[in-house]
Formats: sequence, C-alpha cells, structure tokens
Amino acid sequence: MKLARIGVFATVLVLVATATVAQTQERGITDTEIVIGSSQPLSGPAAFWGQGVGGGMAAYLQWINDQGGINGRKIRLVLRDDSYLPPRAVANVRELVERERIFALVSLIGSANTFAVRDYVIENQVLWITPTADANMWAGFRNKKYLFVTYPGYVDEGRILTSYAAKNEGAKSFAVFYQNDLYGQKGLLGIKRGIAETKTKLAVAVPYEVTDRDLSGHALKLRQSGADAVILYATPTQGALIVREMAKIGYSPKLFSSFTLADPIMFQLAGDAWNGIILTAYYPVPGSDPKVDAMLETLLKINPQLRASPFNALAGVSFIEPFIEGLRRAGRNVTRDGVVQAMESLRNWNGDVIRGVTFGADRRQGINKIYIIKSENRQYRKLTDWIEYPVGF
Amino acid sequence: MALLAQYVVGGLAVGSLYALVALGIVLLYRTSRILNFAHGDLATFGTFVAFALITAARWSFGVSVVVSLVVTAVVGAAFFFLIIRPAKEATLLGKIVITLGLALFLQGATTVLWGTDTKTMPFPLSDTRVYRLGEVVVSQISLGSFAVGLILMAGMYVLVQRTRIGLAMRAVSQHTVAAQVLGIPVRQIFALTWGLASALGAAAGILLAPVTLLDPYMMLDPFLKGFAAAVLGGIDSMPGAAAGGLLLGVVEALFGAYVSVKFKTTLAFVIIIAVLAVRPEGLLGREYKRRV
Amino acid sequence: MELRQRYEEDLYLVRGALGWTALLAFAALLVLLPYLAPGYFLYTASLIAAHVVIAVGLNLLVGYTGQISLGHAGFVALGAYTAGILAARLHLPWPVAMAAGGVVAAFFGFLVGIPALRLTGPYLTIATLGFGIAVNQVLTNWDALSGGRSGLFLPKLAVAGVRLRDHHIYYLFAALAAALVWVAFNLARSHIGRAFVAIRDSDIAAEVMGVNLTVYKTLAFAVSAFYAGIGGAMLAYLLGFLEPQMFTLFESIYYFSMIVVGGLGTIPGSILGAVVLTILPQQLAGLKQYLPLVYGATIVFVMAVEPWGLYGRWLKVKLWFKTWPF
Repeated sequence: MKLARIGVFATVLVLVATATVAQTQERGITDTEIVIGSSQPLSGPAAFWGQGVGGGMAAYLQWINDQGGINGRKIRLVLRDDSYLPPRAVANVRELVERERIFALVSLIGSANTFAVRDYVIENQVLWITPTADANMWAGFRNKKYLFVTYPGYVDEGRILTSYAAKNEGAKSFAVFYQNDLYGQKGLLGIKRGIAETKTKLAVAVPYEVTDRDLSGHALKLRQSGADAVILYATPTQGALIVREMAKIGYSPKLFSSFTLADPIMFQLAGDAWNGIILTAYYPVPGSDPKVDAMLETLLKINPQLRASPFNALAGVSFIEPFIEGLRRAGRNVTRDGVVQAMESLRNWNGDVIRGVTFGADRRQGINKIYIIKSENRQYRKLTDWIEYPVGF
Repeated sequence: MALLAQYVVGGLAVGSLYALVALGIVLLYRTSRILNFAHGDLATFGTFVAFALITAARWSFGVSVVVSLVVTAVVGAAFFFLIIRPAKEATLLGKIVITLGLALFLQGATTVLWGTDTKTMPFPLSDTRVYRLGEVVVSQISLGSFAVGLILMAGMYVLVQRTRIGLAMRAVSQHTVAAQVLGIPVRQIFALTWGLASALGAAAGILLAPVTLLDPYMMLDPFLKGFAAAVLGGIDSMPGAAAGGLLLGVVEALFGAYVSVKFKTTLAFVIIIAVLAVRPEGLLGREYKRRV
Repeated sequence: MELRQRYEEDLYLVRGALGWTALLAFAALLVLLPYLAPGYFLYTASLIAAHVVIAVGLNLLVGYTGQISLGHAGFVALGAYTAGILAARLHLPWPVAMAAGGVVAAFFGFLVGIPALRLTGPYLTIATLGFGIAVNQVLTNWDALSGGRSGLFLPKLAVAGVRLRDHHIYYLFAALAAALVWVAFNLARSHIGRAFVAIRDSDIAAEVMGVNLTVYKTLAFAVSAFYAGIGGAMLAYLLGFLEPQMFTLFESIYYFSMIVVGGLGTIPGSILGAVVLTILPQQLAGLKQYLPLVYGATIVFVMAVEPWGLYGRWLKVKLWFKTWPF
C-alpha cells in the first residue's frame, strides 16, 4: 500500500514539474480574413465609453469590409465585455489571444485594465494598437516593439491647457475639479506643471468619485477657493452636473476642460452653462471638418445607435485608423513584423479622423499634438492651431 | 454662517430623496422581511419609463409620471408574485440574492432598452431658477423635491397609521398567519405593499433624475445611502426612515464641507455604525424582541 | 443501504468506495487539467481557486454562523494589499506575503466581529457594508500606502529564482485551495463548527448551553476574514496588479451570491458556487451588453427553482436515487 502511495505521489510530481503549454504561432491571418480583438466595458458604469468606442470600431471595420477589405482580406473584430473589471479584462485578453487567435489587440479602456493585461500582452508579443489609457505611462517602458499608441497623454494635455489659459485667457488662479482615478490624477499633475511654468496659482483641487451624483458641496468648495478659472477633468455626467451647480450658486469663472468633454452630448446635458467653455481636442471635432463629418455620417448609417455617443465612436475610429493604414502598406503578405515595419513608415499621416500620425523605429507615440477649441452657440470653434508636446516614447 | 446654512440646505434637499428611497425599503421590510436590493434599479427603470413616455410618446409630464409609477408598481408586484412567493422555502439570504439577481437583470434591461448615454430628464421645475433666502440659494427643483418628499412621507404616515388598509398592512407585518385567520386578504396586501414601495422608489428616481442626470446607474449611490438611512432610522420604522434620510443628508454634506470630500461616504457609514453600537435597533426602531 | 456502526464513521469526510473513487477522480481531473484544457483556461482555473478560498471562508461566516457580511470585499482587499505591499515594497517572498495577508485580514475580521456582537440582520449588514466601503475609500485615497488609483504592481511569483509559469501557478493555487478547503471541512466537523451552527440556529439558546458568544462570533469573523485575506493575496499575485476599484460593494455582492447560489451552509456548495459564478460571466462575455440580463436571470432562476442552491439540488437528486423506487 505504501509503495502504491509513493508511486502515485511520484507520478503527480513528475507531471507537475514537466507540464508545458502549446507553443504559439503566427495567428490571426488567413487567406480571407484578419482577426483582431478588443475587450471593452460594454456593461456596467463605464458602458457609455465601451459601447461608443467598440461600436465605432465595429462600424468603421464594416465600412472597410464593404469596400472590399484590405488587400483582399476582410477584417473581423471580436468584441468582449469586461465590465471595466481588471480580472475579466485579463481573462478576455487571454482568451482572445489563445482561443480566438487574434492578430492584434485594439484599444482596451481604462488604466487599471491596461496595467493588468500589460505584462501578458508584451510577453506574448501581441500587436497592441492604442491601449486607451494615459499615453505617458509608456515612457521609459521597454519591449515596446509591438505597441503603437495614438492617444494623448493626460499630463501633457493638462500642462498645455493650463499654459494656454494663463497666457491667452489671463487666468491667474485655478481650481481643478477632477475624477479621482488615474485619468483625473494625471490631468492634475499636468495642470500643476502648467501652473509652475506660468507662475500662476492652484487655488484648490476637488476630487469626485464616478458614483457621486450630488455635487453641491463640490461646487461650493470651488467657489470658496476664489479662483477665476476652473479646469475640469471629468466625464460627461459629472462635468455637466458641476457646471450646472456652479451656475446655480452664481459662480461663473472661466471654464476649461480636457477633451473627454468635447462630445456634443454636453450641449444637451449642461445646456446654457456650457457656453464659452474652452477645451482641448486631438482630432477635428464634428462640425469643423468635412472628412470627420463624412465619417460620422457613415458610422451613423451603419449603426444609428451611435448617435448617442458620436465623440466616442469617432475616437474608436481614430484608434484603429493608423493600423488599417499599416495593413494597407504591408501588402498582401501580412506578418506581425511586416505590419510593424509598415506602421513605422507612417510620417505625419492623416486619416479621415486622426491627423498627423508619425511612428518610427524608436517612436511609438503616434500623436504628440493637440489643439484648443471653444464652445459657442452649441458648436465648437477652433481657437489655435496644433500645439505640440515633446515625444515621450 | 450663511455658508453653513447653504450646506445644510443642500444636505436637506438630497436627504429628502434618501428618505424617500429609505421609505420604500422600510415598507417592504416591514411586511415581507426582505431587504430588496433591486429597489434602486426598479426606481431607475420606472424613471426611464417616464422619460420615454415624455420624450418619445410625447405625453404630458403629469400623465407620464402617473403611468410610470403604475408600471413600476406592477413590475414590483409581479416580481413578488411570480418569483418571491413561489420561492417560499428560500431562506432570507436566498431571497436577498434573488433581489440581487433581479437588480442585475433590470440594469441590463434598462441599458439595452435605452442605451448607456446620459440623458436630461424633462421636468416642469427648473434646476437653474433659484430662490434666495437671505444668502442661501435654493433651486426650484430642490424646493420641489423636498416638498413632494414631505407630502409623500406624510401620505404614507396617514396611510399606514390612520386607514383601515394601513391597519391591515401593520397586521400582516406583525403576524401573517394570524392576519389571514382574521380574514385580511394577505395576498392583496402584499401586492399593495410591493407596488407602493416600488412606486415610492420610482418617485424618488423621477425627483432625482433632473438633478443627477438620467443614466442607468444613477441610483447606485442614492440607493446605498437610502438603505443606510433606513437602517440608521430603524429598519422597521417609517418615521425613522424619514429622519434617517434627512439626518444622513445633512451629516454627509457638513462632513464633506468641513472635513474631507474624499471620505464623505466612509464617515456616513462610520456614524451609522457608531449609532448602531449605542442603539442596535436604530434611532427610532423598536427593540428587537425575539422568541428563543 | 448504508449502516453506520460507529461514531467515527459519522465523522468521516469521505465515505465508502464510491466516495473515495469520486474524490480520486476529481483529484485526477485537477492534476491533469493543464493537459486537457487550453492554456487560457488555466488562468480562469487559478481565478476559480482564489474565489473558492474566499467563498468557503465567507460561507463559514454566513452559512455556518448566520452572520450576514456584505463587506467581505474589504477583507479580500486587505489581504491583497498587505501581500502586495509586502511583496512590492519590502520584497518579501510570496509565502510570507500571502500568510501576512491572511493574518492582517483576520485581525480586521476580529475587529469587525466586535460590533457584530450587538447587531443582527439588516443592522449587521449595514455595519459590514460600511466596513467594505471604508476599506475601499481608504485604499483609494491613501496614495502613499496603496498607490491609490495608480495601482500597485506585484513582483511575479517565483520559486528559488525560477519564475513560475501559468501551469505552476495553477498547481500552487489549486493545492492551496485544496488545503484550505480541507481545513474548513475539519473546522466544520469540530466543536468549533458545532458552536457556529448553534449560534446560527439560536444564539441565545447556544449561550445558555455554554457556547461563549463573544469568542465564537469573533472567531467566525476572524477565520472567515483569514480565508478572504489569503484569497485576496492569491488574486493579487495572479493579476500582478492591484487597484482599489477591484474591491467594491459589487465584489462583496458577487462573493455573497456565490455562496448562496451554490448552496448556503455547505462547503461543497460554496465551491460549486464559486466555480459556476466565475465561469458564467466569462463564458457570457461574448454577449456584450446582454450579459447582465442573462447573468441576472440565471441567478434568479436558480434561486427560485432551488432555494437550497445548486448543491442542494444535487443532494436532492442523490436522495431521490438512494430512496428509489419509493
């Protein structure tokens, strides 16, 4: 009996020690299609972003496919829902890579989710197109061969917005209303740098949680600080709420905001209080550029539900456009390294939505410029030309 | 001083909505002894129905609100009769999990039916028209919701304490079988209670939506606070729910103003736990006597 | 027919040839999983192992002792962050970090158990809920300690300098979960388990009979929190990254539904619940925005049809076969 037990134990030990997993090969490319995947928050509190971006990407790819695809291949997008939860995002990405065998991973919303899947994606050398998180996080990161980012860095953006506000709008002291997560915190960091640059003052920084709906106290705090300018690093719901609260208590400072509030939905949510706010943007906003408007119309024809989140849908297109161009340039024989080379050849390339994309042998930050717009009469007017910031990676 | 008054007024305004939510929770708990975790999502669903009726069907505000309250009441009562009642054997925790499942289902349904984007709720009272009482600013909506909340609370009080139906409700909550023996139509009372509680929730949602903007997750925070307020006031006491809601609103506003915005919710719960440590049955609750 | 002739036979965990066969088959399945299942499933399997540990611990508190806890994500977070901070900042080896995670969580469990002595039902629910929220908010805002919303990265699991691969992590977690489940089984069969059940059934009567409520209630919280802490540490190492938003009320409700859907008050029930409720949302991820609809409906359906949970249904099926043809 004892011998049998030892035998079983030894077998188990051997099995455990020598267990291996199947090797990965080049995946996602067949003669007729290219498979790409994305994990988005399609349910849960962040569903607004995921459905907009995911829907935009899906509609855009359908348009491309309707025109015959790229070099004779159709592109298939596999979308999975992670409800903005990191463990689900990791499971989704693993499944996408190992079961669906995707050629590239596109987008992935949220810094927490990006951090969680980062090591796996980099280690398995998966092509990753624009993880939708603060671009500054990749500065100094190694092994970026298969990573391509066309998304602004929140720190740079905050700094530029603050500088503009101080220099061109005469703002002297700033109050910041920011979301208490990486997005808002990075924005605040950029704002602080801008303040240091222009020798202005940070009067107060008021954070909020995504579930907060009663912002009367926050508005009072902003007013108490006596700042003549308020910068918002928020999402549409709270952005509209705080602007309305401030109007209610009779506080009307100069208003500035990051690009996330450039969605036309703000006109409806915040009403008159949204007039005169100055924002950043990283691609031409709808209503200011014929190509962007045409693309929006195309998207809406394919999926009318995107009407609820036009900005997010266009953002989804802006993430994936450079990759499509890279596929075009790679030609009929598509390999991962081939696409990498093709994308590295992009120099100040303009897509329908995204503008001025440049990659290189050691450059993975596709865009390094934003511009300033102002809201007037339910439309956005361009205030400046492109403002560049240093390329970080 | 004026600033303090401003914070207090703001706290009272939001507290009255917590109280409304708490009222619905307490009503259900008294009769069915179930903690209904789907209350917030039922309320959101009802509010979206009102929104759809006003914007898509273009009915008038009053009619839409009444219809949506009725619809929510029907959904709540249906949920009780179709799912909770047949699951008689379920333990208390099992019933709680059923309500959790329903909450998730309703969230999904609301998102699928109306999308995830934030919307503005049309409301006859304006959020930006403000009245000034001295240096304190109150918006029309805050006044309106506070008034409506008070009316509803008073109405509930009259209903439960002064009418025959209320007597029947109290009898059913004390001892269901004895009430049946006495000839009280227990099933109808249950239907009424669930319907009423759900409608109260929907009313709170409709009052909340113009202020917080309408999206499928708008009731997450208010529901939690309403639940906490219900416990603070004593989960079997309706005046307790009202008192708890108002108190919680004010305390939260003051703490957020003078101590820390970041830990507002934590402190609210810490205070509740402190109160419970001293008085385990809540502020106005009755002491819990059990048979061993 | 099964006749028990001695008291010891009543205490056996595994009974008879059938019991042993089933257990060995299950063990074999666990060992052979990396060969049978595709690679990405091993990650889910490790996740299931962590959830099993948490669920079993929560069941000891809610199912066996009858104390409702809706703040369990707070204990999980404490265990995860303790392990994370010790591993990332102090570079302690993972066995130490994990054990410390369990101990710290257990300590807080004991602290939470003290007010629980006076509270029951919905009042206790709110108190534990408040604890869960407090932990979340402290972790979110105390940047220096927890890294706040930027998150905390953990070093990879390694043994003697060799980094562990997916299947090694799976074996490690499965073994850890198996060991903790075995401890839980034995705890339930011992005088401590009996004291827990006595408290659940009628705590006043239990006290009259000599069960020290203070000791056993706080012990229940502490043990349950210990399990949650270990589970949290496992989650931390599995993901390699921690963020406070991973431990909210939603997670507390999630663990709670695991034990109730699986079968409240039974350890196989909580294991079953953990397995099913981890795999289900994963498999449904392709349904996108319809996921909450299907997931919620499934939970309602299971609980409405079988109030005793999945394991309860299994017991009924077994009983039916055993008493057939009567």
